[in-house]
Amino acid sequence: MKNRNLSIWKNIDKPLILLYFVLSVMGYLIMYSSSFKGGELPHFFFNTIYGKQLIWIILTILMGLFALIIDGNFIKNSSYYLYGFVLILLIVVLFMPPIKGARSWFYFSGFSFQPSEFIKLGLSLAIAKLLSDVGSKFKDFKTKLKAFLLIMIPSILIAFQPDPGTMLVFSCFIFVLYREGLSGNFLLIALFTILIAIVGIFLKASNSIFYIGQFPLSGNLFFGFLLIIGFVFSFLIIRYFVLPRYRKQKIRSLIFISILGLSISGGINVVYDSIFKERHRTRFQIMFGIKEDRKGAGYNIYQALSAIGSGESFGKGFLKGTLSNDKYKHVPEQNTDFIFCVLAEEWGFIGSLFFIILYLATLIRIITISERQRSKFTRIYGYCISSILFFHFMINIAMVIGLAPVIGIPLPFFSKGGSAILSFGLMIFLLLRLDAERKVVLR
Amino acid sequence: MDPFKNRRWVIILIIISVGIIFSFRLLYIQIINNEWSERAEKISLSSENLQPPRGFIYDRNNNLLVGAATLYDLYILPIAIRKKDTNLICDLFKLSKAEFEEILYEASSGYNVPYKASVFISSITQLEHAKISPFIGQIPAIFAKSKVDRGYPLPIASHLLGYIRRIDEKQYEFSRKSGDFFYSKNDFIGITGLESQYEKYLRGKRGSINYLKDFAGNKKETIDKTPAKAGNSLYVTIDTELQILGEILMSNKIGSIVAIEPSTGEILAMVSAPSYNPTLLTGKNFSNEFKILKENDSLKPLINRPVYNDKYRPGSIFKLVQALIALDEKVITPKTGFSCNKSIIGCHDHESPSSLLKAIKHSCNPYFFQVYKRIIMKNSKGNIFQASREGLQNWENKVKLFGFGSPLGIDLPEEKSGFIPNVKFYDQWYGEKRWAFSTIYSNSIGEGEIGVSPIQMANLAAIIANKGFYYTPHIIKKIEDKELKKKFQTKHFTNISEDNFNIIINAMNEVVNNGTGRNARIDSIEVCGKTGTVENKNFNDHSVFISFAPRNEPKIAIAVYVEYGTWGSKWAAPIAGLMMEKYIKGRLSEKSTNKVRRIQEAIILDKNTKF
Repeated sequence: MKNRNLSIWKNIDKPLILLYFVLSVMGYLIMYSSSFKGGELPHFFFNTIYGKQLIWIILTILMGLFALIIDGNFIKNSSYYLYGFVLILLIVVLFMPPIKGARSWFYFSGFSFQPSEFIKLGLSLAIAKLLSDVGSKFKDFKTKLKAFLLIMIPSILIAFQPDPGTMLVFSCFIFVLYREGLSGNFLLIALFTILIAIVGIFLKASNSIFYIGQFPLSGNLFFGFLLIIGFVFSFLIIRYFVLPRYRKQKIRSLIFISILGLSISGGINVVYDSIFKERHRTRFQIMFGIKEDRKGAGYNIYQALSAIGSGESFGKGFLKGTLSNDKYKHVPEQNTDFIFCVLAEEWGFIGSLFFIILYLATLIRIITISERQRSKFTRIYGYCISSILFFHFMINIAMVIGLAPVIGIPLPFFSKGGSAILSFGLMIFLLLRLDAERKVVLR
Repeated sequence: MDPFKNRRWVIILIIISVGIIFSFRLLYIQIINNEWSERAEKISLSSENLQPPRGFIYDRNNNLLVGAATLYDLYILPIAIRKKDTNLICDLFKLSKAEFEEILYEASSGYNVPYKASVFISSITQLEHAKISPFIGQIPAIFAKSKVDRGYPLPIASHLLGYIRRIDEKQYEFSRKSGDFFYSKNDFIGITGLESQYEKYLRGKRGSINYLKDFAGNKKETIDKTPAKAGNSLYVTIDTELQILGEILMSNKIGSIVAIEPSTGEILAMVSAPSYNPTLLTGKNFSNEFKILKENDSLKPLINRPVYNDKYRPGSIFKLVQALIALDEKVITPKTGFSCNKSIIGCHDHESPSSLLKAIKHSCNPYFFQVYKRIIMKNSKGNIFQASREGLQNWENKVKLFGFGSPLGIDLPEEKSGFIPNVKFYDQWYGEKRWAFSTIYSNSIGEGEIGVSPIQMANLAAIIANKGFYYTPHIIKKIEDKELKKKFQTKHFTNISEDNFNIIINAMNEVVNNGTGRNARIDSIEVCGKTGTVENKNFNDHSVFISFAPRNEPKIAIAVYVEYGTWGSKWAAPIAGLMMEKYIKGRLSEKSTNKVRRIQEAIILDKNTKF
């Protein structure tokens, strides 16, 4: 055993350790700056937001080091138990008093704990376990159903909190499933759905009216009209240019896609008019730049973009921000969901670019690590955490830079919040541990 | 072995594309498009004007006339109001819930936003502030800011000093249009008196501070600062003690006193009665008090009568001007005598006006009827209409050299011109060549259409004291280090010889010693004066007196006008005498002090006061 433990240091992936280290240090500096009120350091450093954050980071590293000596098999075998344990926490947390309208936290003596952060880890392990088990084949409907259930149960529990941001993150498992053999069509359909949804919502939000000859058509009717023309046109192409023996299959998928497109665009019509509340509509209108509501719903994003823009090329320097940190607080939620503003303002475009490259490097490094595994479990697990981190990164930054509507979701390694720091840290450390065993274990 | 191994490239591609999209978006926001960084400046930067303290006003002996008083504005910050504050605030300021809601609404709407504090009670005094300050300390949404307002050590000279008021829309627009960007909408501006006249000196130079603010608009970090420059202090020619005496003497009367130092044109005292306490027009009571003074007081205490009321007929004091012009025109000599023929124009009983001296001494009306007739009808060859036209034209020119008929140019706003009737005026009134001397003879004794302001009357006294010239009367002595304007150091000549003035001065001395002006006598000082009794048809006459003393090297020239005070000798002469005694001797004798008390107690506000 001892030998194996020592060999961890030899086999551990140094680039990922380095990337994790750099992300954590950068994240902490930004977090410190975001919570900086100016003046001298307070006497009770560890009572401050950044003091607590430091405690969590140290705790994460300690627990991470502990994770490095756990046996890989043990990790794999306890996956379901961990998943189940966090599920219980997710149920219990629904009976806690709400904070800011959501029952997401356990709260004791100054520290809060958010089980929904840990379900991401639990779910990753559980999915990896499910799909890597000998005898389970992804082609089987049963396996697909199980995977679906594993994802859906925590999603539903989190919907009760409610925490739509975290729910949205679960859709990242589509990448994992894709890598493990889910038809690429699902990915295409998802992309297709997103595209149609964006166009549909845009048309609704902008209240566009189109004219066909003399007839005025509301945006969505016009869009449906275009879809039908596209359908007929494609049909004619297939009819005349595709060899007869492929025709039937092509026409079948064409019909499927057309019906999907029409129903999505129709569905959006209904959802936008009757399910969306005015504030949601405003949010979309602001995102598309149709409406500018500086003082109301558009306040956050307006302030955020101003702060980012003011960073210009090289930024204002560490602790020298004048909009986004706690001293000025022009950007709300500046140390949680909008923390990227602090980075962009103080470190400028250069810093932002460095940050993006660092993040992409980390994600790709994790994928590379995953791909070199002989253990299916480790590979799937690696893909899981890579996808989770990617979704967090994508949704959070897209929101902050005005490419997506405002969705509350933290930026891993940066945002304030001990649970997230610990959870994301452990994800990395567990991967490091599993990866270090790659030469030892053959499964 | 693994059929899906290549799918990683799809995933990596997606990840990289997202990274590229983000990079370009950031490139656009941070570098290509400046709009967002400009917006950031608007969000985070703010500047504040630093108000310069207004200059003070001192009298000729460096006594403070206008200084400063500390007042407090109460601010309210709507977003900082806690639930329990509503009751506290309502109790403290004795407001109803509805009134409080109204205040909150106003503090959050229009120009005001809830996260910025705005004034909700302005200008409470130091005493009021002391009473409530312990309570407002417990309410974070309310705080007081001190500010400086005008403070008056003595309740005197209100007309002269003028008042300041928050700038109104019209003045604001006007100053902007004329290229003056000093004012912001909450600034105070001098409205009347010296405050208005010397506004540009008194107001000082505004400073500014640029700072970084937080989301609630709080000042967080100063970027740069230009300190405000305090306004210049004014040193004025007024003698505080003389001014006080003048206001005491004019209490419960309507009228004016103007005292001038003839050798310089400096105004020593300028009293407009009725007066008001200048402190009334400061602080939060401004609008109430202003309304009362402006609208509810029939005696119009806000009017600065010495310069503004130019409808005063001068009465007999004008005989001095007639005599000087007649001597200059050589239509009479000092020895010329006329009979006191009361059938031409009314008169009182006195010894025969066998010389000019006697005529002035007794203020004989028929005598000056004849004098004026000789001036106007000097060229008696042609027809009387034409002769009158020429005579009047000549007379008008000469009278105007005494400073009548146009503003003297005193450094106070709203100086009126007075009126000397001329050819054009009578042509319009009666028609060309439809009037002659017989139509206009009431001018001879300072009645008729002549209108003169008290400052012009005092100036007449100064001209005679100077034997033929005057300096434009003025109030400014110096503005910190800036020297007096040339305008006030230029002599204006009447072009009438000193000899002729000596004759008149001699007569005026006689008026005080043995004639109608005996009430103005001062022990051991030779006083020259002339009474005037301005006729009113249905009311008491106005009491007028102009005078200067001492006869040689005059130190003070004065005009007193007491409306409805009957004869000039009754009130105006003793008031002038007391003023001159005070100024020349520095103190009043016991006898004079008693006289002051008697005059002070006399109430002449009714048009038909019985004496």
